[in-house]
Amino acid sequence: MNAVSMSLSAESVRDEIAADAETTPLRALGLSKNYAGRRVLDGVSLTLEPGSVLGLIGRNGAGKSTLMRALLGLIEVDQGRAEVFGEPALALGDRFKAQIGYVPQQPDALAWMGVAQMLDFVGRFYPAWDKAFVDATLTRWQLPRKTTLAKLSPGERQRVELIRAIAPRPRLLVLDEPAAALDPVARRDLLRELALRANDDGTSVIFSTHIVSDLERVASDIAFLHEGRLLLQAPIDDLKERFARVSLPAAIAARGALPGEIHRRVHSGGAAVLTGAVSVVIERAVGADWPNVVHEPGVRHDILGLEDLFVEIAA
Amino acid sequence: MDASSLIIQPSASEPIYRQIVGQLIRMIASGQLVPGEVLPSVREIAGHHAINPMTVSRAYSLLEGEGQLERLRGKGMAVAAMHRRAQPEDRRLKLLEPHLQEIARQARELELTPEPILRRLGELMEE
Repeated sequence: MNAVSMSLSAESVRDEIAADAETTPLRALGLSKNYAGRRVLDGVSLTLEPGSVLGLIGRNGAGKSTLMRALLGLIEVDQGRAEVFGEPALALGDRFKAQIGYVPQQPDALAWMGVAQMLDFVGRFYPAWDKAFVDATLTRWQLPRKTTLAKLSPGERQRVELIRAIAPRPRLLVLDEPAAALDPVARRDLLRELALRANDDGTSVIFSTHIVSDLERVASDIAFLHEGRLLLQAPIDDLKERFARVSLPAAIAARGALPGEIHRRVHSGGAAVLTGAVSVVIERAVGADWPNVVHEPGVRHDILGLEDLFVEIAA
Repeated sequence: MDASSLIIQPSASEPIYRQIVGQLIRMIASGQLVPGEVLPSVREIAGHHAINPMTVSRAYSLLEGEGQLERLRGKGMAVAAMHRRAQPEDRRLKLLEPHLQEIARQARELELTPEPILRRLGELMEE
């Protein structure tokens, strides 16, 4: 974390990178990682486009934090490669590091400093440091200015880190569960900040969460991570328009896979009476019609919100 | 209108840009928004609702493409002055399509045939 956030930046570097706004901020190709014999990442390929806000969703333990660290080259992977602004993540030069704001789930840097003191200190390294944002947000997020970081609650600590990461106006923000530490008002604030900065400054953002409604507001793209594998990456509007759940009676389910079927779940017990014996998630191309089977008697067809889609696929 | 006039439901199965498009079309059709009226900027709407500005832009562009809105130089997006009240029938019918699909779905669940539904619909529209 230190190495990423504290690297010195020079104005010329910012301009140089800004001139090349089309460079893909993050790209992963087939990342795999094992911890103690357990596969935490399994062939993950993912792209963060310039100016987009990518929401990474997954259950606890799905590998979200590991993926973020691997994307930034903070850990070595067993297979695959990660690139930041087109450079190998593991050998990232300081001029690129200065363009990244990363907030881990449990920040621990500079713990001996006071809140305002640390922000002041860090701010001096960044020509574009947004002091007005720092002051306003400290107040809005009800953070004490003089308390040392080590004495803050984990939630307060992460709020300070979010301010620290956003204030330099980085070109890339990588936020690990940023909403976990925030109350609803502060969370809405953060989402607004992320969305507007992506728009105004062209900042690219990737953030992980298991709170689906946060994603639905600000994300332009969604990636589903489940048991170390990336199940889906798509623009958020496409997800809502391209996927549906079809509940089938046993007789129709027995005919085999539906067109566009991506996931099938067999129900048992009382719920099956209401919902059909089998529920299938189907995918259609943008602008295409749903397959004919959805109009057959006894078949129920639901457009899914993201949360339902996620539960259906990850349950 | 201001940004708070829009109601955004992030968790609805309808994407947010479609929610915006639908509400603006209905406000224009009902006369709540009059030709020439300037709409809030993309940034105002995105900021107020904490949603992605690209989503708002997408809704505005779609409506601009349909001739409902027009971009006024230096002022932003406004309800099209040349907005034709009487749109072609297929265009107007298209506005009802999601509701018709929903009725069709529920009718199938109730195992109703189209005839009694159409009869009742006819009665309702005569009133």
